[in-house]
Parts: sequence; C-alpha cells; structure tokens
Amino acid sequence: MKKEAGLRAHIVNEFSFFWAIPAFIWQIMFFYVPLFFLIIISFMHSTDWSSWNQITLEHYVGFGRPMFAYIMLRSLLLAVVNAIICVLLAYPIAYYLSLCAFRWKNLLLFFLVLPFWTNFLVQVYAWFFVLERYGLVNSLLVYFGLISEPLSLLYTPFAVYLVMMYCYIPFAIMPIYSILEKFDRRLLEASSDLGATFWQTFWRVTLPLSASGIRTSFFMIFITSFGEFVIPDLMGGGKQMYAGTLISHYFLVERNFNVGAAYTVLAGVVLLVSVAIFNALFKRMFKNLRNGS
Amino acid sequence: MMGIRFMRRLVLPTFVASMYFFLYIPIAVLVVFSFNDSLFPFVWKGATLHWYKELWQMAEVWQAMRNSLIVAFSSVVLSLLLGLLTVYYSSRIFLSRFFPIFYGNLGAPEVVLAVGLLSFFVLFSVPLGLTTLIAAHTLIGLGYVIPMLHGRFSELDYGLIESSLDLGATHNQTFFRIIVPLMSPALMASGLLVFVVSLDDFIVSFFCTGATTQTLPLYIFAMIRSGATPVVNALSTLLLVISSILVLLFSVLKVKKMDVL
Amino acid sequence: MRSIRLEGIHKSFGGEKIVENINLTIPSGKFFALLGPSGSGKTTILRLIAGLEIPDAGRILLGDEDITQIPINKRRINTVFQHYALFPHMNVFDNVAYGLTVRGVAKDIIEQKVMRMLKAVRLEKQIYKSIQQLSGGQQQRVALARAIINEPDVLLLDEPLAALDLKLREKMLLELIDLQYQLKTTFVYVTHDQFEALTVADYMAIMNTDGEIEQFGTPKEIYEFPVSSFVAKFVGTTNLLEGILRLDGKEPQLEVEGLGGLAVNIPKDAAWATDGKNVLMSVRPEKIKMSKVALPGFSNELMGKVYTIVYHGQSTQYNIMLDNGFILQVFEQNEEHFPEDVIDYEDRVYLYWQKENVVLLER
Repeated sequence: MKKEAGLRAHIVNEFSFFWAIPAFIWQIMFFYVPLFFLIIISFMHSTDWSSWNQITLEHYVGFGRPMFAYIMLRSLLLAVVNAIICVLLAYPIAYYLSLCAFRWKNLLLFFLVLPFWTNFLVQVYAWFFVLERYGLVNSLLVYFGLISEPLSLLYTPFAVYLVMMYCYIPFAIMPIYSILEKFDRRLLEASSDLGATFWQTFWRVTLPLSASGIRTSFFMIFITSFGEFVIPDLMGGGKQMYAGTLISHYFLVERNFNVGAAYTVLAGVVLLVSVAIFNALFKRMFKNLRNGS
Repeated sequence: MMGIRFMRRLVLPTFVASMYFFLYIPIAVLVVFSFNDSLFPFVWKGATLHWYKELWQMAEVWQAMRNSLIVAFSSVVLSLLLGLLTVYYSSRIFLSRFFPIFYGNLGAPEVVLAVGLLSFFVLFSVPLGLTTLIAAHTLIGLGYVIPMLHGRFSELDYGLIESSLDLGATHNQTFFRIIVPLMSPALMASGLLVFVVSLDDFIVSFFCTGATTQTLPLYIFAMIRSGATPVVNALSTLLLVISSILVLLFSVLKVKKMDVL
Repeated sequence: MRSIRLEGIHKSFGGEKIVENINLTIPSGKFFALLGPSGSGKTTILRLIAGLEIPDAGRILLGDEDITQIPINKRRINTVFQHYALFPHMNVFDNVAYGLTVRGVAKDIIEQKVMRMLKAVRLEKQIYKSIQQLSGGQQQRVALARAIINEPDVLLLDEPLAALDLKLREKMLLELIDLQYQLKTTFVYVTHDQFEALTVADYMAIMNTDGEIEQFGTPKEIYEFPVSSFVAKFVGTTNLLEGILRLDGKEPQLEVEGLGGLAVNIPKDAAWATDGKNVLMSVRPEKIKMSKVALPGFSNELMGKVYTIVYHGQSTQYNIMLDNGFILQVFEQNEEHFPEDVIDYEDRVYLYWQKENVVLLER
C-alpha cells in the first residue's frame, strides 16, 4: 500500500482517467440508466415522451388485486424452496469435492462444471425427454410394472421445481466450494485431535466458517430464481403465473411497457424486502451458531 | 454418532455419486436419442445419423449460430478491452473502490436487466438487433471480467512494474510487455467465460433482439415450443461437445494461472 | 561518474514522517552502504534516489543535475530489488536484455552485451532457462546483470542478499566488492546487517529509527569512533558505562558509581564535555584485556568475576561481573587450542584497557 502511493504519483498521467472511465460509462448507461428509466416509465402515462410530465399511479393498480399477491407469493415460494433445496444438496457435494476427494478432484470438478456451461435450454429440453408421457421415467415405470398408465409429470409444479433445482445446483455449489477450498484443513485435524466426532467438528468448526459461502449461495439462487420465467413457463405449461412470466407477458405480449415497468418495480421491491428479511434471519442464525450451539 | 470414517467412506460418496448421476441422466438421454431412428421419443429403433444430416441442412440453424458467434466474439472483445483498461487505470487513481457497481449485473435477476434494456432501447428508438444484443452481453460480460481481472491484477507483484520502469521502460511498454502477458491467463479465462455466457444467454436475447434476428438459444426455444424432433437432440449434443471442449480449455487455463508466478 | 546529493529531503506517508531533513553526499565511484534498523527509512531513501517515490521537500542531485522531478524511467539509475523482481514470463536472456530492448537498441548489440554480461556473472550456461528454474543465488545474479547492463551512473541495491543463506551471502559480498571495483559505478547498498555494511563499504551512513542520519564516514571511522550510543550499539557490540565527567584533576576522569574514576580522553571538538556532566563511555569488548594476574602499563585497571563464558569458535565471549554489579563483555581470540592459562567460571580476573581505545559519548 505504501509503495503504491508513491508509484501512483508517476503513473497518473492525463490519460488515466480517460482510459479507466469507458467501462464505468458502459455500466451506467446500460444498467443503471435503464433501471432508472424503468422506474420513470412506471409512473408515466405512456411511453411517448410527450407525456413525461404526467405522473400517474394508474399502472400500479395491479398491486391491489389479489392475483398479484398470489403471483408474488408463488414466486417467493419457488425462490425460497429452490434456494433451500439447492443449498442443502450443494453443501455435501462441495464438502466432498473440497475436503475429501483427492485423487479424482479435477475430474469431478470438470464433470460438475460441464452442465453449468451447457446451454440451459438444452438442459430444460432434456428434462422434457425424461418426464413426458413416453419419456424415460414413465417408460421405466411401465416397464417394471409399477404403473399401468403413464403419469403426466410434465406441466406440473413438480416438474417446475425439479428442473429449477437441476439447473441451479451447479450455481449453488460454486460459492460454497470456493469457501471450503480455502479452508484450513488443519482446523479439522485439530478438532479431531481434541476429541470431537465428525458431527461435532462439523457443527462447531466447518459450518460456522463456511457460513458466508452458504449465505452467498442462498441469495444468489434466491434472487435469480425469483425472476425466473423460462422454466416455469416451459415446465409448468404456462398454467400458473410467476413474477417473471408476469413481467414478460406485459412487455412482450401486451406490449404495455408502463404496466410492465410498474410490475417490475413492484416485484423488485418485494424481492428487496424479502432479501432484507432473510438477511436479518441469517444474521440471527449465524450469531447463534457462532456462540456455540 | 457416526464417525468421520463412515461419513467419508460411505455416505458422502454415495450421495455425491447419486447427485452426479442425477445431473447427467437427462443429458445422457438427450445424447443417446439424438441417434435414435424414430420420431417418437424413447422408443429405441436403431442408430442413425439422420437427424444430424437434417440439422446440417437447416439453414436457419446455421444462421442463428452465426449470429450467436458474432455476438459472443464481439462481446468478449469489448468486455475484455473495457475491463482491462478499467482495471489497470482505475487502480492508479483510486477508482477501484467503485468496482462494486459492476456486481449488479450478476446479482440482479436477468429479467430485470432484460426489461430495463428493452425499455431503454425502445424509449430512445434504438432498433433492436445484433448491436443491441452485443451491448447487452458486453454489459453482462463486464460483471464477470472485472472481478476476475481485478483479482488477478491485485495479485501481481508490484515490484515487477517498478522494476520495468526502473530499467527505463515507458508506461506503455510496461503495460504491453509485463502486465498483459502476466494477466493473460486471467484474460483468457474470463474471455472464455463471457463467450460461453453470451452463447448460452436466453433471457436478455429473448427481450432485446426483436423479431428479425435469431440466436441459437432463441432458435432452440422456438423449436421446443413448436414441437421438437430429434433434430433438437442433435443440435443439443453438438452444443454439449462444444461446451465440453471449452470447459477443458478453461480447466487447463486455471492450472496455468498458478504456474506463472 | 557523478556523485549523488540529497538536500533537505523530507518524506511522509499518510501523515507519518518517514525521513526528515536528510542531507547526504554519496561520493561518486565508491561503494556506499546505508545501514539502519527496520523502519529507519533507509529503503525509502533508496526509492527516492531511484525515483519510485517523490520527496515532499528537498532536492536530489546527480552531479550538478537536479533529478528530483525526473521520472524513474528517465534516470540513469538502476535498482537491484530485494526480491529481485525478475519477470517470470521471460527467460534469463530476455530479463537481462530488458533495459536495452525497451530503449530500442539493435538486436545484435543486445546479443553481444547480454552474452558478455552473463559471462561476467557466470550464468552463460543458463541463458535460455526460465527464471523459476534458477536457484536463489543465480536469480540474484540475473537481477544484478539486468541492472548493470544499462551502465547506470548509480546502482542501487536493496538488501539484495537477504534471501540467501550465510555462506552464499559471504561469497556474494566479495563478488559485489569486486564488481564495483571493476565497474567504478557508484553502488548504494541498503542493509540492516552491519556485518554486510562493514564488509562492502568504502563509505557508510547509519540511520536511526527516527529517520535521521546519525553518522557518515568510513567503516573504520564509524566503528572506532561512533558519535552516539546508538551507533556504538548498532554497529558491533560495546560496553557502555555511564558516569560523571571530572575535569578538575590532573587528568580527565569519568567517575563511575562503584568503580571510581576511569581515565578518559576528551574528544577534540566536544563542547559538550564539561565538568560535572553526565556522559557515556564506550569500550568495545575486543579492546579489553583480561588476565588472571596483574599487568602493568594500562590506563585503567578493574577487577571482576567471570559470570558467563560463550564459545564462538574464533573467539570466546566472557561476561564479567564488576564490583559494582555491572556486567562487562570481553572478547578474547582463541589463539591456541589449549592455552595454559584457562579462565574459568567464577575466576577473579583483572581487566585492562587503554584510554585511547575508548570513546566518550554525549548520549
């Protein structure tokens, strides 16, 4: 740090600012400004510039309708359940990869990362294959005589949740894995040396120290799942509306940007509030964990 | 209570193995049935390359792939360029503390990003097409590139830069001869990542391309929607192979990252 | 070759003063050592000369040229960094050639010069090796070659031998002395190791923890005639006796509690050496003669009991407890395998030194 301060005196040429700024401008222009306009539009009468000074709340009418509440709750439920399931399943895998699998670690990592890099539509489509009436699951069940009629597994909430989990698990594993990877193994050895069993070591040492990874993983899944609309749409058959499908409906089908923007803002608020709540919950949980459970 | 031995040797590996199994079943089925000589899914009627032949002849697919590749390459080049310049020059003038503003790209749900961009473009009457998509993907790319480059840059031995200047090199020379080569694994790794993210991107493309242009994911979506033939399987398998190669490259680069120190 | 002069240099970092009011002239063509404990600011001074830092106040002159505002890459000064800072993605040849390459020197000239330089540091067999394959000593020589090849006016060395083991360090010190003698370039060598400094330097300066230069001179001047107890203690070891100066008798004496009066010489321009003043006396352990029997002809004679004996191979260190409880350190050369007269624990011995061999210090 000390050295940098001095060297900086030399490297700051007139062009430093000039070269450093473009990325910032890009970010602001394509991320923050659009969001800003989104909010503005939601209060504008129409997307016509001429009506810019007509501030109205007409597009927020949807907020009062019970339908909206159902959609939000449904999305929240999906997001929370998916996040919890993903984290619960991801943790053992991350644990195994980082702390147990020595010989095959690189190989396993490779195979773990592969689905993550697969086109996610391909992944969804693959599940079509597995779940449909004449797909893998049904055919196997029929073949083994467990059922006589194929089950309709597709276009159900079950399918939605299953595929959501499938697509998001690799994302859940990453943050936890990266935290556990940097974990000092000697702490585990010390713990065993002092007489702790596996579970004791886990609860008192491993878990508290990997808590931030769990938190990151949870929120990453939670936030992105909340806005998901492809999987509920394809796997759920479009029967039920989720936050994502609601928004895309207004933007692409109804082409009513103002209402769409309003719903986006509303959904955003709902998301932020729930994130804040969960964050507080996490803090509580981890405080208890730290104080020796 | 269960001992570590028990957990490690039996329970955990079994669990992990079954998860991996679960992860790969759909993919395996997909690949296998791309060779199935029948329209009806899951009735195995013999191996064939028929669907691949059909795929080869579908001009729209190759057009879509061409578009996807154009967008992907452009986004990679742009985001790497912007990212590298910013990372290098920002740290000189204390701007790197503002880097968190880039993390919003990955943190927010992609729908919000897509919808925002769509409104933005429409509001300013920007025609939707490949250019708008490139702009959008570059934005997403920055969210990956900047943390990775910044991380690698912070790890660079400052003494090397000082040493280069001490020996008489100008700042430009130092940048091209010392910094860029040392950053190259990070540049390649993040470039690769952005490439794949762009290639696979669906949501933003869905909103921001407009009716005329098609990218590969959009095309697949349409195919799924309209009732698929195993041609989709063939295409998916092809994409899988490409992904595998890219992942391999990425893993190799990760290993290399450690070497150059 | 030009000399380096620092005039009134001040430098702080984040409000913390590192060096203050530094005035130093480094004679040209000599091997100069800057010695000081950690945190004394010696590395900062080196970096100021190199151009890696800019002073808050003061000037740096190379000969008659004010180089204070000249950027680092334009100064004809090169540095050998503490951890070498070799470019990991280049091989030995490219590293050494770097300074010439960036200045656009012709390829064949570069080739010539690099080969000659590598021969000079005995690395001609490692030309195309990557630097990770080299040992510590070899890396150090590459760093050296890389700097010298540019024929700088001044070569700065920032604790270059710190990472090497003892035997290698000793060897490299001699090689550096040789190199400087041949090149006639001004070497500025920064270290916290006083043995290194004493070995290589034609001239040296000692810095204290407040960032000031305590003394400047030849190694011998500094060792034999330190100007403060800090210098006396930092360079080598010494015994410091505190007492009251008495000038009223026939000869000047230092009245030490419990030991009576010790004969001393007043330093020439010591205006502070007044009667009744509290001063310190420094007498180096090797200047004290120890004997079981009384010996004539010394200015001072004390008696004490042997308290500790430490065998150092070449010499033996004895800690003698004087009658006033003060412990005096004495070094004796082990001149013979088995001397007849062995001094052992608890022996009562006589201690002698000449007043010419001690230094009177104000603080």
